[in-house]
Amino acid sequence: MKTLLTTSALALTLATAAAAEGELKIYHWFEYIPQELLDKFAEEYDVTVTMDTFDSNEALLATLKAGKLGEYDVAVPGDYMVKIMADEGMLDTFTPDEMPNFDNIEDQWVDVEFDPGRKSTIPYQWGSTSFSVNTEAYDGPLDSLSLIFEPPEELKGKINVLDTSGETLTLASLYAGIPQCTSDREQLKALNALVQGAKPAWASFGSDVAKDVLVSGDAAAGMIWSGFSAKARAEGAPIEYVFPKEGMIVWMDNVALLKDAPNRDNALKFMNFLLEPENAAAVTNYAQYTAGVEGVAEFLEPEVANSPESNPPADAKGVFVQACPEEVQVLYDAIWTNLKK
Amino acid sequence: MDQKNIAVDVDHVVKRYGSVTALHGVTLDIREGEFFTLLGPSGCGKTTLLRCIAGFEDVSEGMIRLHGDDITPLPAHKRPVNTVFQQYALFPHMTVLDNVAFGLARRGWSARDAEGRARQVLKLVQLTDFAKRKPGQLSGGQQQRVALARALAPEPQVLLLDEPLSALDLKLRQAVRVELKQIQRETGIAFVFVTHDQEEALTMSDRIAVMSNGHVQQIGTPREIYEAPVNRFVADFIGETNLLEVDVQTVLGGRATVALPGGTVIDVPAADGAATGPGHLSVRPERITPTDGPGSVTATVDSHVYLGTDIQLHAKLDDGTPLVVRMQSSGADIPAQGTRLALDVEAGAARLLAD
Amino acid sequence: MAGAAPGGGASRSEVYRGSGPRLLLPAWIFIGVFLLLPVILMAVYSFLTKEFRGGVIWEFTFAAYDQFFLNRGLFGDEPPTIEWTYLGIFWRSIWQAGLATFFCLLIGFPTAWYVATRPVSTRSVWLFLITIPYWVNLLIRTVSMKFLLRDTGPLNEFLMWTGVIAEPLSLINTNFAVQVGLFYSYLPFMVLPIYAAVERYDFALSEAAADLYCDSWTTLRLVILPAVKPGIVAGCILVFVPSLGAFLAPDLLGGAKTFMIGSLIEEQFKGAAGNWPFGAAAAMILLTVVMGVLLIHARAQMREDG
Repeated sequence: MKTLLTTSALALTLATAAAAEGELKIYHWFEYIPQELLDKFAEEYDVTVTMDTFDSNEALLATLKAGKLGEYDVAVPGDYMVKIMADEGMLDTFTPDEMPNFDNIEDQWVDVEFDPGRKSTIPYQWGSTSFSVNTEAYDGPLDSLSLIFEPPEELKGKINVLDTSGETLTLASLYAGIPQCTSDREQLKALNALVQGAKPAWASFGSDVAKDVLVSGDAAAGMIWSGFSAKARAEGAPIEYVFPKEGMIVWMDNVALLKDAPNRDNALKFMNFLLEPENAAAVTNYAQYTAGVEGVAEFLEPEVANSPESNPPADAKGVFVQACPEEVQVLYDAIWTNLKK
Repeated sequence: MDQKNIAVDVDHVVKRYGSVTALHGVTLDIREGEFFTLLGPSGCGKTTLLRCIAGFEDVSEGMIRLHGDDITPLPAHKRPVNTVFQQYALFPHMTVLDNVAFGLARRGWSARDAEGRARQVLKLVQLTDFAKRKPGQLSGGQQQRVALARALAPEPQVLLLDEPLSALDLKLRQAVRVELKQIQRETGIAFVFVTHDQEEALTMSDRIAVMSNGHVQQIGTPREIYEAPVNRFVADFIGETNLLEVDVQTVLGGRATVALPGGTVIDVPAADGAATGPGHLSVRPERITPTDGPGSVTATVDSHVYLGTDIQLHAKLDDGTPLVVRMQSSGADIPAQGTRLALDVEAGAARLLAD
Repeated sequence: MAGAAPGGGASRSEVYRGSGPRLLLPAWIFIGVFLLLPVILMAVYSFLTKEFRGGVIWEFTFAAYDQFFLNRGLFGDEPPTIEWTYLGIFWRSIWQAGLATFFCLLIGFPTAWYVATRPVSTRSVWLFLITIPYWVNLLIRTVSMKFLLRDTGPLNEFLMWTGVIAEPLSLINTNFAVQVGLFYSYLPFMVLPIYAAVERYDFALSEAAADLYCDSWTTLRLVILPAVKPGIVAGCILVFVPSLGAFLAPDLLGGAKTFMIGSLIEEQFKGAAGNWPFGAAAAMILLTVVMGVLLIHARAQMREDG
């Protein structure tokens, strides 16, 4: 996937190299932005765009730490990763007057905990992480994380969980009623026992395959991101996305201005471009999450606007994943390693 | 012949490969303690016959007996015969000693006895000091002797040798001939030796079977084969000979009267099956001598080759038939080109062939 | 021309002797920069202090190796005992790779033997057929295997159609599936070196063995196997080593339920753990194990060759 995108971006580079004013280097998630939108930006601003992709927030951090900071202009970290990167000094700041469309950001997403006042980032898309269940395989009530962590017979051995400790252990914590980033021994032991007990009922761990296993029927239930679930449904999987009563993960991906960006001006132009309602809607129509930008509604395709995944019931509870301090994170790492040893 | 003295009895053996017939009903006996050679040009079937005896090939028809027992249905590993291979086929990952002891171990000898016997055989082939070497560290001649030792160690009833000397250089080959013959005498085992080299066959064999196109042409002692070839193939293949076209007038009791080119009539020994009418007379070059008298034939000298002790004259009879004459070089003048020579054909040494 | 031949031959070898080191220079630079340097870097990193969420602090410590071998409890305050977690992961990977090697050998040897004993003209066709699947990317091949093995895949559909089974066999996300994946991924690495060895094998040796009273089985054991051993050993190494670090088959076909050496190391660099020195230490330990095995083999080989 990564190669494919890089290649097409490279082809674009070659095609426009002669005329281009400047460059823009993006470090993005896989399968998360339509190529047409990149082409549109490149044409409108006469900029050569190149893009590399990653598959987890941690991979993004590792790459930048391994010496790539200063090569990319913008990246797309998730909420807690914004805070981590800011703390590591990897982000540059800008002022609202550098970005004409700044006011398009929905009010609720301006003063966020991970970037108060939006000094380094703008909203990209937000959504939730929960799970979907194949309604042909299971016809009981769909309201609880117990379907994953203490599954009924019909689902045992047919469950896929995300292969990232942050998401899987946070959902487990929600189910067990344990606060995030706890250092309480009894709570951690309970969390450990919960996932250890659930593992025999799990068929596989996989993030990039989360959609495919539901579509193919390899899994009858699987943790999944809301937009990914909508796509699986569109591909014919008879599934329903669950808003569990214990709560789910809410996340927001953000376009961040990287420190030492070689093309800071183009980066700001690109961020401003993405705050245009029409462009934000193009991403939403592609990725099937929700933009944090006002005025998007009129550009959305109806099935995206009305998808059940993007329209949680009023009483749905969501939490952001927290970035734990080091001494606590090692405990979660140990539980994860223990789970997969 | 007493049946008990026969080591190998090859009885009307036919070998076909698809539509190609390699052996056309070969029949021969190999006696105990005999050095028996299968001689012929490549493709004559000699190696095929050896491989049939060893069991590497199944015979299509016929039977092979070993001391009277039918071994035709037995696979190679159940036949009490051993083979010395053309390229030796020594096991490269084993020491010389292990190679030689290999067959013994397979036959159920204890490790200690096998090693003792192997060392004994290595002594016979003078390789005692090389017991712990690997075959790759030996010269060609040494490898050849290891192959011999390996095949001799299990005391086979018959030893089969498939052109074992062909990979050696000339000087070594001549030395090994003597050695091989000596070992054969000492062990008393019947050797079946395959070669295309007539000199090898003549110097080492007790008896020779000359083969051609899957047929045995003649079986006999080296002397019989050389001096009394039965047909043109044998006469031509063994040594050098002149084949003169003659008119056979009478054949009686192993002798015949023939008219030489030029008309002289002589009385010569005849092979079985020779008949009156046009025939071929074989005369060895050394049995034709220049004479002061009228001679049996007259020839014109074309050229000569000086061979040290001998001089070889290439001449033509009056009717154009080429003739080779070998004369001793000591004291004689070399006839110049174009000289007409009167020649005597030694009647007792010429032989009328069965064609 | 005739006179030049012997002299020319001699001077040519002189030329090669003199320029050997110079001709090798690019190879040495390549090996140095792309092989030796990363290994040295990795060795150094494994002794450095970890930085939270990736990266290293340039302070010397044995912490990574301590974590690998010693268990101090979840909260790090218990008396140290042997840490079986990582040794277990290593052992599982070694077992998995060993099993894959065994199956590849079991099938690869007769395959190689068959191909090498065909007429010369058809051998290249057979070899081509064997290598055809390997023109396709490993990821694609592994995913295809996933399609084949899944509950609704062609294999189960076929077995159910024939009536051999009534319910689909649970093949995907099992160790069996991992073995199938590894076997399929690395079989040619077993077949090709054995093929090369068998092709060089002198079949007169088999006749010599039969002549010296060996039946087919004894011939195989005492003569053929020792003679083609270098090919077998090369094949085993070529299958075992990549199987040891394989992560595609365990992840896609085995369901990523347990860490393999490869995914454990990957997690240290790309996952939430972000413990680079530990990842480097695990890689160093793996490297040491592999080098150890190769070294033992090389020494045994040298002893055998005298």
